[in-house]
Amino acid sequence: MKFFPMHTNRPLFNILVIGLLLAWVPWLGLSAFWLSFFYLILYWSVLTLSWNVFSGYSGYFSFGHGAFFGIGIYTVAYMCGQLEMSFLPMVCLAGALAGGAGVALGALVFRVKRVRGELFALLTLAVTFIIATVVLNTPIDGGPGVYLNSVQVPKLGPSTPATFYLLILILFVVALLVSRYISTSKLGVALFAIHDDEDAAEVMGVPTFKTKLAALFISSSMAGIAGGIHAVFVSYVTANEVFSINVPLFVVLMSILGGARHWAGPALGAVVITSLQYLFTIGDNALMGKMALGVILILVILFKPDGFLGNRAKANSRKAAKQIADSYGVRSNSAHQDTPTHFHVDHQHAHHHAHMGESAGKRQHSSEVLLSAKDLCMSFSGLKVLQNLNLEIYSGEILGLLGPNGSGKSTFINVVSGHYKATGGHLSLSGVEISELKAHQIAQQGVARTYQIPRPFTNLTVFENTRLVASYARGISLTQATPFAVEALEKVGLGSKIDALPQDLNLHQRKFLEFARALAAKPKLLMLDEVLSGLTPSEIQSAIDLILSIKAQGTTILFVEHVMSAVMALADRIAVINYGQLLAQGDPQEVMRNPQVITAYLGKKLDNA
Amino acid sequence: MPSLHLIIQSAVSGLLLGGLYGLIGLGLGLSWGLLGQINLAHFGFLFLSAYLSYQFSTTFAINPLWALCILPPAFFAIGAGLHALIRRFKMTPFNSLLLTFGLTVIVDALIQWIWTADFRKLEYAQSNLKLELSGIYLPYAESLSFALSVLCASAVYWVMKRTDMGKAVRAIAQDPQMSTAFGINQKFITMCLAGTCTALAAIAGICVSLIFTLNPSQLYTWIGVVFAVVMLGGLGSAFGPLLAGMLIGVSESITMVFIAPSWAPIVSFTLLIGLLLLRPDKI
Amino acid sequence: MLEIKSIQVCYGPAVALWDIDLYVNTGELVCVIGPNAAGKTTLINAVAGLNKVSKGQILFNGQDLSRTEPHLFCSYGVALVPESRRLFANMTVLENLELGSYVKEAKALRSQSLEHVLELFPAMKPKLHAAAGSLSGGQQQMVAISRALMARPKILLLDEPSLGLAPSIVLDMFKAIKQINASGISVLLVEQNVSLALDIANRAYVLEEGRIAQEGLAQDMLNSASIQKAYLGIS
Repeated sequence: MKFFPMHTNRPLFNILVIGLLLAWVPWLGLSAFWLSFFYLILYWSVLTLSWNVFSGYSGYFSFGHGAFFGIGIYTVAYMCGQLEMSFLPMVCLAGALAGGAGVALGALVFRVKRVRGELFALLTLAVTFIIATVVLNTPIDGGPGVYLNSVQVPKLGPSTPATFYLLILILFVVALLVSRYISTSKLGVALFAIHDDEDAAEVMGVPTFKTKLAALFISSSMAGIAGGIHAVFVSYVTANEVFSINVPLFVVLMSILGGARHWAGPALGAVVITSLQYLFTIGDNALMGKMALGVILILVILFKPDGFLGNRAKANSRKAAKQIADSYGVRSNSAHQDTPTHFHVDHQHAHHHAHMGESAGKRQHSSEVLLSAKDLCMSFSGLKVLQNLNLEIYSGEILGLLGPNGSGKSTFINVVSGHYKATGGHLSLSGVEISELKAHQIAQQGVARTYQIPRPFTNLTVFENTRLVASYARGISLTQATPFAVEALEKVGLGSKIDALPQDLNLHQRKFLEFARALAAKPKLLMLDEVLSGLTPSEIQSAIDLILSIKAQGTTILFVEHVMSAVMALADRIAVINYGQLLAQGDPQEVMRNPQVITAYLGKKLDNA
Repeated sequence: MPSLHLIIQSAVSGLLLGGLYGLIGLGLGLSWGLLGQINLAHFGFLFLSAYLSYQFSTTFAINPLWALCILPPAFFAIGAGLHALIRRFKMTPFNSLLLTFGLTVIVDALIQWIWTADFRKLEYAQSNLKLELSGIYLPYAESLSFALSVLCASAVYWVMKRTDMGKAVRAIAQDPQMSTAFGINQKFITMCLAGTCTALAAIAGICVSLIFTLNPSQLYTWIGVVFAVVMLGGLGSAFGPLLAGMLIGVSESITMVFIAPSWAPIVSFTLLIGLLLLRPDKI
Repeated sequence: MLEIKSIQVCYGPAVALWDIDLYVNTGELVCVIGPNAAGKTTLINAVAGLNKVSKGQILFNGQDLSRTEPHLFCSYGVALVPESRRLFANMTVLENLELGSYVKEAKALRSQSLEHVLELFPAMKPKLHAAAGSLSGGQQQMVAISRALMARPKILLLDEPSLGLAPSIVLDMFKAIKQINASGISVLLVEQNVSLALDIANRAYVLEEGRIAQEGLAQDMLNSASIQKAYLGIS
């Protein structure tokens, strides 16, 4: 199979070319004013890019970038200005300390599950104030500010401003490269998934806690390094200036304006806003400039929340997916049919399957137990949803999980997949105890699930949605996961939609995307939560055929369903639960004739009381 | 070792100031808890009201308390109108936070443009009035703010608990669909709530103008403390912010007495982070 | 009294209800049964104003509800007892009941309505000042039904009242529903407990995959083989 690289090298090439071109600027004989202007553009680009790598990509908007930047500034200010250490090593230290602070903050906040987004924004703002207070009250600054004129800076260019320009240019190129690299890497696609639906990402195998910490570290350390360089550029730092509202405000605005999703968006935003600000300051209109910023922020939020390059980023995604499809020979123009071609679409086929099932003895199952639930309990604020549930699923079988509404079926799937933590009892998969594991670890052990109401990652293409799960659940790289993703999508019949976004799909296709994602993970146990609800009869037939072919390749399937004809056609065994406990299990026909089951479903009459 | 008298005086001053924190936090907390909106424009309105109160009293040379009759109703209208406007655009809660941030920036620039960055102090007749209780001084402005804070908190509590409208507000916050099913006009009620929160900001702003010397850059310094007050006091609570404010106020002043004044800002955040570490599910 | 004409209800891209025709005469108790995910809740929510109707009409005593603002439904005499109760959990039982009679017409009769529901469900009396969320499933169901009665409705809509309740409580619940209907309030009931529903209803509709599959007198349906097949899959 022809192997196509994940991303072309054109952007990287472009970045390096731009970097080289810009490196010549100091020798153009421009005045210090212009060098300072260019320095500031590059400096704000770095700050915004670094902010975006975590906050823009993951959606955890931080208002505390000033804190990390400030740590960088004051590390250099104190170490170089007061302790007279040498410049460049201290800049590195600045980055390390800022990075460490980021990780510490993240470790503290990411444990709190609810109100994540807003809480993070406010806490990061709070941290800025704390650090400012510490700086003001200790010998680090003490109040009057720190002078840095005497710090020795290595001579890189024809003048001192030139040196700073070149230093920040190097950092700028690095920031662009990092931003670009992350956006197409395994880390980046995990961040995008977290942005869209963190809980689903976790259940699909993404280690969300570690991912966020890693990105936050990169983000804060870059800000720290930028701060370190900036400290000596301005040569006099005060706590009020450093920790003012400016840095947080500007980076958020620049990122949103340029487009948080695109790797170069923040830089574009930085160029625009910095230039605008300069225009206002030159014209002695600093206040108007500030007001304009507020107005721009409001206008962007209302009318162009994706920013200038937002659409470009989406288009790039689609193009990349299309390239993959082409290289694998999959037809990717979605002109014609929406229903998959592999599967028959008439009712006679359904009957055929049903009859086949009854006579061919497919009701037998292997004796090896794959999933075992012992005395499983799950309570929500005192309400017992699962009570001492005992259930076993045998390897290679299709088990139908039935029961009246509210009996605990979806809760069972949620507990097994790790969405909820069981309040009592044991769960083991192939002998491995999974009740104490985090959701992403359970996914990596080989458990996959679909959601009753599909939860695709709305800003990722169909292809990326699938490849992400394949990569994280199997523990392989994105490149290695590509063929599995393509295969899964073709199997469910979504090959023609490989470059589509979830918003372009109808309900049937979204449900099948759920299938594809679960398949791509090649799970040992696949749990389907009411996949057939809302589908037309012909779509139901396609789904039944698909499920049977999945079983044929050795996957064990647990499915919750209400469409009885499908249950009878598919299930090897049935388990009926009621009030969170097992009511009956065994051969489908027998179980459904069990008087207790009939009562549970149809109920007793009034006069039988 | 500071004298007992100094400690008590500081504690009392902190308590009174905490009342003001609570008053500012009340509107913000109601908006956050019941409307689901983190309204950063609250601070913009707070300062706008403070400056308008200053201007009003200075220009017309009358008792600043008359502003209480004019500013809150005016701000109610502004808040309600703004809410109705923003409601037309469907946006994520985070985007509404950013939008209100933008509004604050505009208001801040506007204030600076009209009143410049010069310090402005409202001079009024009672500014030096002090109540004395066995050696402890209760300054006029701070005591008045405290009283207004208690009054507003009580009023909010009474409305929430006893009136149908207040119950409707709580119901909407819990389950908007079911509220509609029982005849509650969500649009109208939330608009009134938004207006009320802004009116509360206006009242707080008048108090600020009585106590402090005004300067535009101070706007952002309040954000931290007030959010700490709201989070510690509980979103949507009537008396919570007041109590949290008093706690923080007292802690700050005690810190100032025993350690150093400049460490005071750290107190509220330390308390907040402590809360997060020990009881993360409380938020 | 209530006439649903050819309505269609969609959930985003998917059509949940196709071309539904249904009616409830004044004083009747009509039930809608059918397998899960057939669209029963969607139907009842549409009548209550919670779901928008994309085609067709809902006529209530001549008033076209499908063209009315959702919050006005209650004042016309429609009250809902939703699936899983959906009480205002942080508020007391009494406050929940008071909110039931929020609309002007019901507010005037609030104290009488309160007396009436306490007669119907005396077990609520000691719990009046308890937080609604702290009650058991059965108690919550009583409160939910009472809340709807406080609105002085002309028609009571019930969505799966037996859901998650112990069998003995369910029987009491259905006795109460029958009593309410006997007092003159029309009832539209959606239910998965087929026997009980058919037992107290005058007429029934069977909803399958978003369409009316059968309709008729409740008594006739009780012993129908097609019901057994739809629910249990046995033929």
